[in-house]
Amino acid sequence: MITGGCQCGALRYQFEGPLSRTGVCHCRMCQKAGGNFGLAFVTAEKLVWTRGEPGTFRSSPAFERGFCRDCGTPLFMRGEGEAHDVTIGTLDDPEAVERISTQIGLEDKCRWFDTIADAHASEQGYSRPEGERRSFQHPDHDTDHWHSRSER
Amino acid sequence: MSEKVITGGCQCGAVRFRMNDRPTDVSICHCRMCQKAFGNYIAPLVSVRDDDFTWTRGAPDWFQSSSQVRRGFCGKCGTPLAYDAPTGLAIAAGAFDDPASLPPIVQYGTEGAMPFFAELHRLPGRTTMEDVEAAPFLADLVSYQHPDHDTENWPGERRP
Repeated sequence: MITGGCQCGALRYQFEGPLSRTGVCHCRMCQKAGGNFGLAFVTAEKLVWTRGEPGTFRSSPAFERGFCRDCGTPLFMRGEGEAHDVTIGTLDDPEAVERISTQIGLEDKCRWFDTIADAHASEQGYSRPEGERRSFQHPDHDTDHWHSRSER
Repeated sequence: MSEKVITGGCQCGAVRFRMNDRPTDVSICHCRMCQKAFGNYIAPLVSVRDDDFTWTRGAPDWFQSSSQVRRGFCGKCGTPLAYDAPTGLAIAAGAFDDPASLPPIVQYGTEGAMPFFAELHRLPGRTTMEDVEAAPFLADLVSYQHPDHDTENWPGERRP
């Protein structure tokens, strides 16, 4: 069983897999919804929410995007009657996705995206204050009890 | 409005922001906390100074992700918007109206980089309209996303 959830742990999901239908979308809708340069996803047939109910935003008539109302993590996009396309960063073990198969939405791809991995790698920075301090992120596995800490 | 002013906001448009200077510090972070907060392979972040940056419509909700850092997002549509640490505030690059103008110059947390990340650009690719046969709804899709510029009133007429 594949499991995952949002950063704060208010939402948890599971599905059977496989993790084979994957992609990264560069379209402007996915960029803005994810606040990111591209959004990677895996199709999750018969996804079940094991904790909480996601918030949704209907980004176009037949398409909704799900997120955690407590911490904001983007969790899925879904066409009407279709399976959930789950964001791969919310998988408890995203490295179990052996490969991303395809790029879509190329018309909006940032022109420098192909060299993004060549940027200077720093040994310090954003991850440091988070990594060395007490984390309130839900662990990368299911838990019996969890209290999230959001400020509304 | 100065040419230096750049704007952005969440997908639904409930939260909008403005920055009064061109950003110089754009990064991507691969750490597991940034991955999970953004639901993605990286968090792309633009450092801003408090005196250069304003929330111009609405305000983010916040999640305290650790004892030192809180993360801002739109409570109505979920777009990740901000990373607020003792070292300062940073804004999600993809939430800017023109993210192509914000190429990252540094990578953090590379110990957490997903194995496929560096090879993503080698994958075969298609434009959205090349997918129209497999996804016919694309042909007459109406976007409810806020446009990539400030608006006087929102939601606009297209919203249900």
